[in-house]
Amino acid sequence: MTLSTQRHMPLLLAAGIAASVCIQPAAAQTVVTQWDQFAMAGITAAGPAMDELITTCAPDLNGATVLRTIAPSIGIRDSYRLAVSANKTPDLAYTWPAASVLAGYARVGALAPLDDYYEQYGWEGINGFYRGRNGFQGALYGVPMEQDLMGVYYNPALFKENGIAVPTTYAEFQAAVEAFKAKGITPIAFGNRDRWPATNTLSLLLGLTAGKDVEETVLFGDTPWANDQFKLAAETFQSWAENGYFPKGFNGIGYDEANALFLSGRAAMTITGTWVLQDMARGASFDLGVFMLPPIADGVAPGTMWGEGSQWQVSANASQDVKDAAAAYINCLISPASREVWVEKGYLVPIGTTPQELEQWDALPIVKSFYTQGLATPDTNFYDLHTTVPESVTQVLYAELQRMVGGDATADEFLSAMDVAWQKAIDNGERWVP
Amino acid sequence: MTKSPRLFQNLILLAFALYALVPVYLVFLAAIRSEADLFSGPLTLSWPINLGNFARIWNEAGFATYFMNSVITAVSVTILVLLTAPLAGFAFAKLRFPGKEILFALFLAGLVVPAPSVIVALYGNLQALGLIDNRIGVILPQAALLMPFSVFMMRTVIQDVPDELIEAAVMDGAGLLKLFLTIVVPVVKPGLMSLGLITFLFAWQEYLLPLVVFQTESLKPLTVGAASLQGRYGVDYGGIAAAGLIAFAPLVVLFLAMQRSFVRGLTAGAVK
Amino acid sequence: MLTTRSAYLFLLPSLALYLLFVGLPILQVFGFSFFAWDNGIAGEFIGLANYSRLLSDAVFWTALWHNGIWVVLTLAFPLLAGLVIAAILADRNANVVRWLGAVYFIPRTIPLVVAGIIWGWIYNPIFGLLNFGLEAVGLGGLGGAWLAQESTALLSLNVVGAWTFFGFCVIIYLAAIQSIDPALYEAASIDGASWWRKFRDLTVPLLRGSTLFLGLYAAIEAMRFFDLVWVTTQGGPGYATEVLTTHIYKTFFLVGDFGYAATLSVVLLIIVLAISAGAFTLLRKP
Repeated sequence: MTLSTQRHMPLLLAAGIAASVCIQPAAAQTVVTQWDQFAMAGITAAGPAMDELITTCAPDLNGATVLRTIAPSIGIRDSYRLAVSANKTPDLAYTWPAASVLAGYARVGALAPLDDYYEQYGWEGINGFYRGRNGFQGALYGVPMEQDLMGVYYNPALFKENGIAVPTTYAEFQAAVEAFKAKGITPIAFGNRDRWPATNTLSLLLGLTAGKDVEETVLFGDTPWANDQFKLAAETFQSWAENGYFPKGFNGIGYDEANALFLSGRAAMTITGTWVLQDMARGASFDLGVFMLPPIADGVAPGTMWGEGSQWQVSANASQDVKDAAAAYINCLISPASREVWVEKGYLVPIGTTPQELEQWDALPIVKSFYTQGLATPDTNFYDLHTTVPESVTQVLYAELQRMVGGDATADEFLSAMDVAWQKAIDNGERWVP
Repeated sequence: MTKSPRLFQNLILLAFALYALVPVYLVFLAAIRSEADLFSGPLTLSWPINLGNFARIWNEAGFATYFMNSVITAVSVTILVLLTAPLAGFAFAKLRFPGKEILFALFLAGLVVPAPSVIVALYGNLQALGLIDNRIGVILPQAALLMPFSVFMMRTVIQDVPDELIEAAVMDGAGLLKLFLTIVVPVVKPGLMSLGLITFLFAWQEYLLPLVVFQTESLKPLTVGAASLQGRYGVDYGGIAAAGLIAFAPLVVLFLAMQRSFVRGLTAGAVK
Repeated sequence: MLTTRSAYLFLLPSLALYLLFVGLPILQVFGFSFFAWDNGIAGEFIGLANYSRLLSDAVFWTALWHNGIWVVLTLAFPLLAGLVIAAILADRNANVVRWLGAVYFIPRTIPLVVAGIIWGWIYNPIFGLLNFGLEAVGLGGLGGAWLAQESTALLSLNVVGAWTFFGFCVIIYLAAIQSIDPALYEAASIDGASWWRKFRDLTVPLLRGSTLFLGLYAAIEAMRFFDLVWVTTQGGPGYATEVLTTHIYKTFFLVGDFGYAATLSVVLLIIVLAISAGAFTLLRKP
């Protein structure tokens, strides 16, 4: 009685899947176990789109069914690692982060190479940049889906009310912040209790002080973190904190709380990514605006941080039937028709979607605006740190960044701590290079 | 006694009562507030009481399931401990056998083993046994971790059973197990009750073990569910407060109802 | 006392459970600590390399220091508070004792995860009740980001730990005081001893056993607590609330370095056993 085992009780499948089971009764049923993060609220809240697409894509599965488990976005990263170490890797998973962490799983043989499927289905929408981020030693291990971008969400009503124009240069941005401060309005809602949000901010600042090329010489070459451009980014971040750009006590404010602060009209801006478009669009009581942070250092091209949110990956242990079914399913999920569903029902823009397509589809104005601006600089967009450095470095980055932005360490101390962790990771063979 | 020290003493008692209760009261206020705007200032008692937060959390956020899971796990652990620890306590209290000192020391050492210390290896073992993402994978280790305390406590309790009672029964030729069940158990019933309550409390409060072992949402207990709300439900503080209340109210009620028994259990290992 | 080999049968169920799920993993953790691990997969034997890494791991030493501070704070505040409260309650009427005892113990029944969430709100920099409260009484200047600045984070967290623990101390001390022979107090009263003198010369020395027990309990809990930190600060800001268990958790789950996590676990276990051995020696002394 008490020791009942209910091992597989994942959340219910969509009705369509159940129907297809009925049509093809148990002909050596192929079941694809799927873990994803498409919840109904929070980060990556594209639940309704996922629900619909499971039904839509059922016919493509050739009789196989999908057994779905929703893992919250923050938790899936840890659960997946445990599953891999316990040799219980789910057949198909939509997890983050990519690149360095994905490479780690490929390195230990947990993931199936997908090159044959890339060839078979011709996933052209996934460009060289993203193929690089899903590759390890010449093979492809993931199919990235969400096109992540960073930008500055702003409250146009507050800007207008206070006679402040949307900044087009960094100097104008600083002036806007000072103007809001003078009016007693929090300029930028920022909360870093969850430890990761500051990493995104630093990623953005690095790209706008060092630029993509210099970043690559550090992340994939031999340049140390302690270089002048990186130092400028770190110092800029610290000076924002010191000069009251953020609410007091930001290291004790949650990511969601910071977003709520912005959505309640108490802060003029918040700097984050497209991954909360769903919550932003639903939560805002005003018309949202977004602009790209202008370059900070002279001679750096405009651009923004690019990521893939998460990627579909397939277990190395899955049977051939399951792998084939999973690939067919992925192919359906990223087809043009499905991309439209992701955009319209999930406010999630899949990689390869063009601003022109968004214009035609029933996308929210904020979605169109964000992607039109973010996709305009494809050659200069730059890296997201905590999906690009290995996990051991990420843990140091989180803590050291909290200290540096909180004023407990200098930019130099921060960068030299990063160099130590970085060197260790390289020595351990953990570094990912596209 | 003069008046002023007594007043001073009362102030100390009051201050600590407030320290203990104010946070609990705040959660209660947040849970029954109708709108959950966290920026709207200090909490005040809102009337009429709004149960919408509870309904939402219970029905939509899966707390009905989390609650049942907590009940199933905590009851199972309690039953398992009650079925095993008293037997060992009896052996250590009333029987003589080679290796007794060493075995007791082995249990004593377990009193202090930190769960995080064993979890690294435990995880692999549970996986090898097919117990990851399985209730048994939490119930068995949880009972095992509580075993040293339980055995120690039962030994203390059973030591108080008069030897004459046992000797008389042995002369009757009663089997040991029968003796245990018919003579010892009835005498130590209050001790068993205490052990059961404390085991239930600890099992209900456990976080790390279920956090690591369960992957399927529908298996997770209240502690894991409540902690994950922070990320998943953003700033729905009314909902999170309701979830918190659901997670601890049963324990508070149980404690208040069974205070005497709880206290007996808590002090059994300490005073002697 | 009965000598019988069937005693082993009585021990078997609990011993088997205990050895399988506690004893065996401890031995395995020792084993793990001699290997290199990558993403939860075991690699080559590396001898004591994981142990020599401890020396240069600044986070480990910081965490250990924080555990040490936590031990001292717990001994200083909840233990002392429990002793004083129990001594005051000792000569109050039974109903007051019963009710206040229950009130003080209520926080202990709340899972630490939930306690962390509740106190997280109280300390929150933007809508936290502590800052509101301070402002309301004109002390707004004292407000701060309690859990979010290095100078106050550990102490603020300890207030939560104490919240869940002092009631337990009250109950243990009360039970011990009630077992003291009342004649001792009566004799002291006849001699005209003040409350304070009785507290100092009778209660405190007679409760030595309970104090040692609670001290041991507090020290061990201070070494192995995890839930509270994890749901509030995850060891941050920076490393300000990092403790051994959060360091183990991060190394194990987030980095996947099972070997070094095992090494840290072994160290934690040795410390806890050493503390216990020390305390038991003290307890045995009359």
